[in-house]
Amino acid sequence: MTTWEGLLFGLGFALQPEVLVYCLLGVVLGTFVGVLPGIGAMAAISLLLPITFYITPEAALIMLAGVYYGAQYGGAVASILLRLPGTPQSAVTTLDGYPMARQGRAGVALFTAMASSFAGSVFGIVVLVLLAGWLSRAATAFGAADYAAMMFLGLVAASTIGASRPAKGFAMVTLGLLLGCVGTDVNSGVQRFTFGQTELLDGINLVALAMGLFGVAEVISNVRDPDRQGVAERLGLRSLMPRREDLRRMGWPILRGSAMGSFFGALPGTGSTLSSFLSYSMERRVARQPERFGNGAIEGVAGPESANNSAAITAFAPTLTLGIPGDPIMALMLGALVIHGVQPGPMMLEARPEMFWGLVASFGIGNLLLLILNLPLIGIWVAMLRIPFHLMYPAILVFLCLGVYSVRGLSFDIVAVAMIGLAGYLLTLARFSPALLLLGFVLGPLIETNLRRAFLISRGDPMVFFERPIAAGFVLASIALLLLSLWQAWRRRAGAGDEVSSG
Amino acid sequence: MTIALTRRAALACAVAFAAVPAVAQDTWPTGPVHVFVGFPAGSSPDILARIITDPLSQRLGQPVVIENRPGAGGVIGVQQMLVSAGDGHTFGTTINGPLTTAQRLMDDTGFDVAEDIAPVTLIATSPLVLAVSSDSDFTDVDSFVAAAGAEPEALTFGSVGQGSGAHLTAELFAAEAGVSMLHIPFTSYAEVTTSIMGGEIDSGFMAPSAALPHVEAGSMRMLGITSAEPFAQAPDVPVLAGQAGLPDDFRAELWNAFIAPADTDPAVIERLNTEINEILADPAVQEQLLAIGWQAAPGSPADLEERIATDTAMWGAVIDRVEAQ
Repeated sequence: MTTWEGLLFGLGFALQPEVLVYCLLGVVLGTFVGVLPGIGAMAAISLLLPITFYITPEAALIMLAGVYYGAQYGGAVASILLRLPGTPQSAVTTLDGYPMARQGRAGVALFTAMASSFAGSVFGIVVLVLLAGWLSRAATAFGAADYAAMMFLGLVAASTIGASRPAKGFAMVTLGLLLGCVGTDVNSGVQRFTFGQTELLDGINLVALAMGLFGVAEVISNVRDPDRQGVAERLGLRSLMPRREDLRRMGWPILRGSAMGSFFGALPGTGSTLSSFLSYSMERRVARQPERFGNGAIEGVAGPESANNSAAITAFAPTLTLGIPGDPIMALMLGALVIHGVQPGPMMLEARPEMFWGLVASFGIGNLLLLILNLPLIGIWVAMLRIPFHLMYPAILVFLCLGVYSVRGLSFDIVAVAMIGLAGYLLTLARFSPALLLLGFVLGPLIETNLRRAFLISRGDPMVFFERPIAAGFVLASIALLLLSLWQAWRRRAGAGDEVSSG
Repeated sequence: MTIALTRRAALACAVAFAAVPAVAQDTWPTGPVHVFVGFPAGSSPDILARIITDPLSQRLGQPVVIENRPGAGGVIGVQQMLVSAGDGHTFGTTINGPLTTAQRLMDDTGFDVAEDIAPVTLIATSPLVLAVSSDSDFTDVDSFVAAAGAEPEALTFGSVGQGSGAHLTAELFAAEAGVSMLHIPFTSYAEVTTSIMGGEIDSGFMAPSAALPHVEAGSMRMLGITSAEPFAQAPDVPVLAGQAGLPDDFRAELWNAFIAPADTDPAVIERLNTEINEILADPAVQEQLLAIGWQAAPGSPADLEERIATDTAMWGAVIDRVEAQ
């Protein structure tokens, strides 16, 4: 079957009324769980799983996938309006989305997030359709050394985002890396910093960390500072439409973010959280005025939101073509297929073409539905800001706890989110960036595990990082970027010195 | 879809009514039954549990609710079952690890298998297959062992974690074959599979259902299987026992079992054992299990107790050897 035949066949399948209803159900549910802080696609899909026993595996997959990418749309809403990320993937959107809302441009920020999400998804779909085979080969071509080198580049590239001072940023990344060490070490099996708590054996729960640092900390900040309560008064309807200037600024970040997200999404185990962080740091680096970032730069919303959405689409490439899930949610979706007796694997594309092409076509339909659904919702979301503080924030805390509890069903995680929240509040008081802590936490275990695995496989020979072309490329890029940063810092200092001497 | 649902509901009602006399004689269960599973929804142990609890709920005339408490290789599921115990309606299904090797591998599991857990029945067993890339030169286990014996740690194998069934099985295999191999731990079969196909590692002991799709696609080969008999899901794969210097009784199997808190009424355990054994005798259930790589393995509570004891001793010896290295 050629690509066009496949797509037409898939469209025919996905446009059947029954399938369409499940697609709509999935994306609507996804939007809402995405908006609710803490409750994410994982929880929603776990709850839906038993229901999927009663529908066809194709419809089940289309619905569950709808929840998955739908949540990426919704995640930005609370990030922008309340500085409470709906999902860990949209945590980075708080950095510039919330300042935009504070400036009375919440509507524009939400529009940007929706438009970028849609553009990112469309980019991801095109990549998935044209390059599915190539992407799945890339998944097996990446070895431990390649992953380690790539993550190192990510760490170097992203380690300055959202920091007021480099030293403070460095401290936060390091703290994140240390927190990432908690749990059973994959390579040695040693239990690190678990203090005898079985609940910590698999590490600190990412949702608990993200929701504590951003969500609980933000709620405490608002209690302390009544000034910040309510952005709504400054919002008129005129603020919903972006200016021409805004549209011009969105284009390249969306393109770069989509490309980056498509790439990282297809690699198993890297995920969409990372791609949104890396997109943000890239936009900040290429910007002419990096100081605009953190103060409501529209690029800081457009880039990450397109990145996490395109990653959510291309993440299906290894899942569908190899049967290799890239993250726990993908594994859950494959589980839904296994229940139906469909064995995911490299033969699925041939054995059940309606599965692959139907799903791909449903991505297109689902994203269109999401755009149609979300644009009118912008007004409603903004109106929600008028809910009085004393009603809204307790409700948010309830949702946070529900969401964190739903990941593993352990009350331990609720205590954890409260404690992390308190620590997060103290960090924001001292003007440390929680975003960098989260980045260190996500990247740390990936770098460590892959670095040590690479050395284990090479029997301790460091040349593995230079002999493998992919790894060598990333190592060289990291060195180049480090040198560039040093040179820029030197130039800035020299420039500042000149001004002082001339003045 | 609506038709299927109605049919199911009707069936459930019919079975529920049929079960009325039994329930009248014996007041248990008086409410919903909770079954703790130490793995996330959609995982292989979770699907296996659902295959059993679906008909179990019909037979007991009460809803059977799966409680997923993933983490620490299934240990958290057992812990949480024990925390919630006391109402006579709380049970669990678990893989072998938490009952056999976890006590050795973890600082403190928080429970004692002999004291805190009452065995109900074994549900199913699964062998592991020795998988290699189809690009490799290994065509059978003899050529594999010969290459592995060329020098210490000449070949690498991947596993799903330190102390996992896949790791310990490979160590047992290496020790029995008189070779030493280099262990590369991963966290999932998905990672092991990509690494084998990418040529980064040489081999891995894998669940048959994880390896089979790639064998069918021609990117992997299975050199042998760890069960005593050929496995129905992969009948062409030769058993490893007796080959390449391995003893005739070489055998390593993963299993899933139904367990209860130690203070559960023995009559309830007896009832559950009977019901689950009858469920496992149903050919349709056996087929469902086989499709996800598990062979039904009914038996008495005493059988499970014995299995726990033998496997704890067998894997304990392997762990001793690994720790001594």
